[in-house]
This record gives sequence, structure tokens and C-alpha cells, in this order.
Amino acid sequence: MHHRTEARLADIVLYGSVAAALLFFYIPIFTLMAFSFQKGRYLTLPFEGVSLAWYGELWNNQSVRGALFNSTLIALFSMLFATILGTMAAIVAVRYLFRGRTIFLGLTAAPLVFPQMLLGIILLIWFSVLGRAFGFNMGLVTAIIGHVVYITPFVAVVVAVQVYNFDPALEDAAADCGATPLEIYRHVTIPLLWPGIFSAAIFAFLLSWGNFYLTYSLAGSARTLPTFVFSGIATGSSPLYPAMATVVFLPGLLLVMLAVWLRGRSAGDL
Amino acid sequence: MAGAEIERNWREPALLLKALPTVLLQTLFFAAPLGLTFAMTFQRTKNFRLDWVWTLETWTEVFSKPHFWTVLGHTLWMSCLCVIICTIIGFPIAYALATRVRRWATPLQILLMFAFLTDATLKTFGWALFLDSKGAGNYLLELIGLPEGMIGFLFTDWATMLGMVYNLLPFTIFTIYLSIAAIDRSLILAAYDCGASKLRALWEVTLPLSRPGIWAGAVLVFLLAVGSFLEPKVLGGGRSPMMADLIRQTFETRVNWPLGAALTFVLMVVASFAVLLFSRVYALKHAGA
Repeated sequence: MHHRTEARLADIVLYGSVAAALLFFYIPIFTLMAFSFQKGRYLTLPFEGVSLAWYGELWNNQSVRGALFNSTLIALFSMLFATILGTMAAIVAVRYLFRGRTIFLGLTAAPLVFPQMLLGIILLIWFSVLGRAFGFNMGLVTAIIGHVVYITPFVAVVVAVQVYNFDPALEDAAADCGATPLEIYRHVTIPLLWPGIFSAAIFAFLLSWGNFYLTYSLAGSARTLPTFVFSGIATGSSPLYPAMATVVFLPGLLLVMLAVWLRGRSAGDL
Repeated sequence: MAGAEIERNWREPALLLKALPTVLLQTLFFAAPLGLTFAMTFQRTKNFRLDWVWTLETWTEVFSKPHFWTVLGHTLWMSCLCVIICTIIGFPIAYALATRVRRWATPLQILLMFAFLTDATLKTFGWALFLDSKGAGNYLLELIGLPEGMIGFLFTDWATMLGMVYNLLPFTIFTIYLSIAAIDRSLILAAYDCGASKLRALWEVTLPLSRPGIWAGAVLVFLLAVGSFLEPKVLGGGRSPMMADLIRQTFETRVNWPLGAALTFVLMVVASFAVLLFSRVYALKHAGA
């Protein structure tokens, strides 16, 4: 009897904590979505009325379009480089034994435990000294490099899980059948790791797309969505920003669903 | 099917081609900038321009101004508190995710992942709108009949703390989840067979076995918390700045790069030292037990 009440209490606490966590995580997200429909200019309740006017404003705003374009461009390139580097690093980390492996692992994982703001600052110092020496300015390229440094370890962790579940005997079998190393990669390794690589690429895209700290330090005068929102908050905001947030949420949610679905499917296969 | 480890030599292209790009990337754009930042602390500024001479001027300034150390103390205190809160509320969530809600695992995974991967600036801004005295929180509370203005802590340290916990809690949940999910279920069942209650089994089996995850999460959250910038700025209203904000200001408004570099270094060294110290204490405590 006593055990049963205890079990019920445990269930209430545990299910309750998950529900509370979801509520907690979604409070700011729902708040932003709600404020995007405010008719008036001020971000306070009660609303003056409900309207979609700010979405129209968003569509016609040149700086928003520029920020969206920059964010997407940076995210696409960061995704590409981080995914390639991270995948290779994951294979090396899980599969190979070599001299200096510990140093390799430390160097690869270090940016994971490094505050982004500080990473942004040390890279800012680095690029401005290099920029003065070689005559270049900070901009999209330096922002992409910063993002790749920060995101590659994330990709490596996600892909490493997939590599860990991968049977190397399959590669040996292909080699026994006379496949060249390149053919093994093309026809065995990459197809089997693909779900992990693909979902890691989606994470990489989203981490870069929503990145504030590194872009803020490294993009020079180029604006992206997060830095645009930050400067908007600083200079007196309007429902334009919540509307922008809501527009940004939708592709993000779809991409996450795709990533989780792919990972789930690959887990089922193995 | 743990990946059988293969002996490789750096002369083999299989290793070199795959490892070298990451090594180059992290050396050129992480380790080398770190070195340059350190070298920068021994320079000085003159009329807002960098003056490249080797001097200890910057370090004298760092050690002679108590303001920097007050802000550092505040940052460390906030980060410790953030770690404690994240661990206390993160553990039951991670435990529930690992042992209960199996049926809704996929939608939960999607919802949590989406919340984590969404732009931090937007989410922090969303909290400001919720916590505002005329914001969504008070409006909802009044709707259900509670008195006006219950939520009044925007632009205080509590709002900063809320934002920090919000942005870092996913890291705690994730690391603790991994360690609980890895626990062999039969150990817990064995405890039940021996007559242990659920609480006793949790306390004597699950908790000790998930300690590495709790510890890893705490270290990760602490190191990320000391770099908080958005939260004190947007939610704390910039009233009691933390180190990252101070460093940023040193670069932007004072244009004193050597000083900014020195403060960056102080923060990194002190934070790493704090982690080392705690791990020593932790190791000693558990070596005795």
C-alpha cells in the first residue's frame, strides 16, 4: 500500500516536471508569437487590436530582407564546412587510434566548453590584427569562420553517435570484394552514416542561423537576424520583431522535425 | 557494435586527410587567437590606438581596480547559482525523459530540440515581453483573478538568473539524460527485489550512477554561464553587469583592446581554476567514501 502511493507520487512529480519544463521552454516562444499580432505599436497588453499589419511591414522592410539573406548565406556555408569537418573528425575520434589522439580530442571539443562571447572576442582580436596586416575587413567570411569553429564540435558529437553504431566489418567486407577506399566511402560508409550526417547538418544550419554572439563580434557591418533583433531591442522595439521571430520559428520547427525523424529512422535500421 | 578502433599513423592518408582540416581549423582559429589574446594583454593603448610595446601597464590596471573584481565575483556567484538551479530542476526532467514518457518520446524530442535550437536573442527578448510589468505574464495572472503587478522583477538579477537558467538548462537535461539512459535497468530492479523503496533505489542506485552526467552538466553550464551577456543586458537591464558585458564595453566604448584581452583572460583562468578546484574537492570527497 505504502509502495503504491509512493509510486503514484513519483509519477506525478516526474510527469509534472516534464509538463512544467515544456511550459517553461515555450513561455517566451508563445509570448513572441502572441505579440506579433498586436495592432498597435507598443509591446504591452492588452492589445489595441489584432492584426497582421506587422507581417506586411516585415515583408516590405529592406533591412529585414538583408538580415534574412545574410543569415541564410552564413548558415548555408557554415553548415557545409562544419558538416564536412565534423563528420571527418567524428570518424577519426571514434575509429582510429593514433599518437596525439588525446590532443586531437581536446582540440576538437574545446569550443564546446568555451563561452561564445569570449570565442567571439578572441577571434575579433585575431581577425583585426590579421586584417590590418593583410588588408581585409571583417564581414560575412569572418563570421562564417567563427561559426564553423563553434559548430564543428557539435556536428562531431552528433555524427560520432552514428559512427559508434556502425559495424566496421561492412567496410572490411567491401574491401575484401575488391572495392577501393574511395568506393567504400561512396557506397558503404557515407550511405550508412547519412542519417546522422544529415541531422547534424540541420543542427549546424540552425545553430548558425540563430547565432548571436559570434556574428555580433565578427560580421563587421553586416546584419543578420539575431543581431538585427538585438539592435532593435536596444533602440525601442515594435511588434515587427515578434513578427520576425514567428516567421523564423516555422522553418526551424520543420527542420527539427525532419532531423528527429531521420535519426529515429536510422536508429530503427541498426 | 562499438567502433573497433584501428591503429593509424599520421603518415597514412586515411588519418591525415580526415584529421588535418579540423586540427588546422582549431589551431588557426582557436588556439592561435587565444595565444594572440594573451600577447595582447602585454600591450597598451595610446589615444584609442593600439601601441605595440611590451609592458605590464594593463595588468597593473587590472589588479589595481577593485571594480573589475567586484564584477568578476558577481559573475562567479551568478554562475554557481545558475548551476545549482539547473541541476536541481534538470534532474527530475532528465530522469522522467529517460524512464517515463517513452510513448511521447518523438514529439517531446522535437519540442525540446526546437526550443533549444531557436535563436537565443529571440527567446531572451520573449522573456522580456513576458516579464514586463505590462507584459504577458501579469496580464494572464490578472485574467485568472490575481492582483495586479505580481511579476515585477524584470531588470533585476532575478530576471537575469531566469534567462541564464532558461538558456542553459537544456545542457543539464541532456548530459544527465545520457547518463541515466545508460544505467543498466536490472541494477534498479535488483534494488527493488531487495526491498528498497523507489526513493531509496533512486538515492542509492540511480543518483550515484548518474553522478558523472550531473558533474559534466554542471561543469558545462558553469563554463557557459560565466560568458553570459544577453541575459544581464536584455533581462537585467544592464544594471548589474557581468564580465562579458564589461569586456564588451572595454572593447567598444573604451576601445582599450589590451584591457579587454586581459579581462577575457582573467575570466577564463578564474573559471577554469574554479572547475579544477571543485573537481579536486569532489575527487577527495569520493575517494574517502
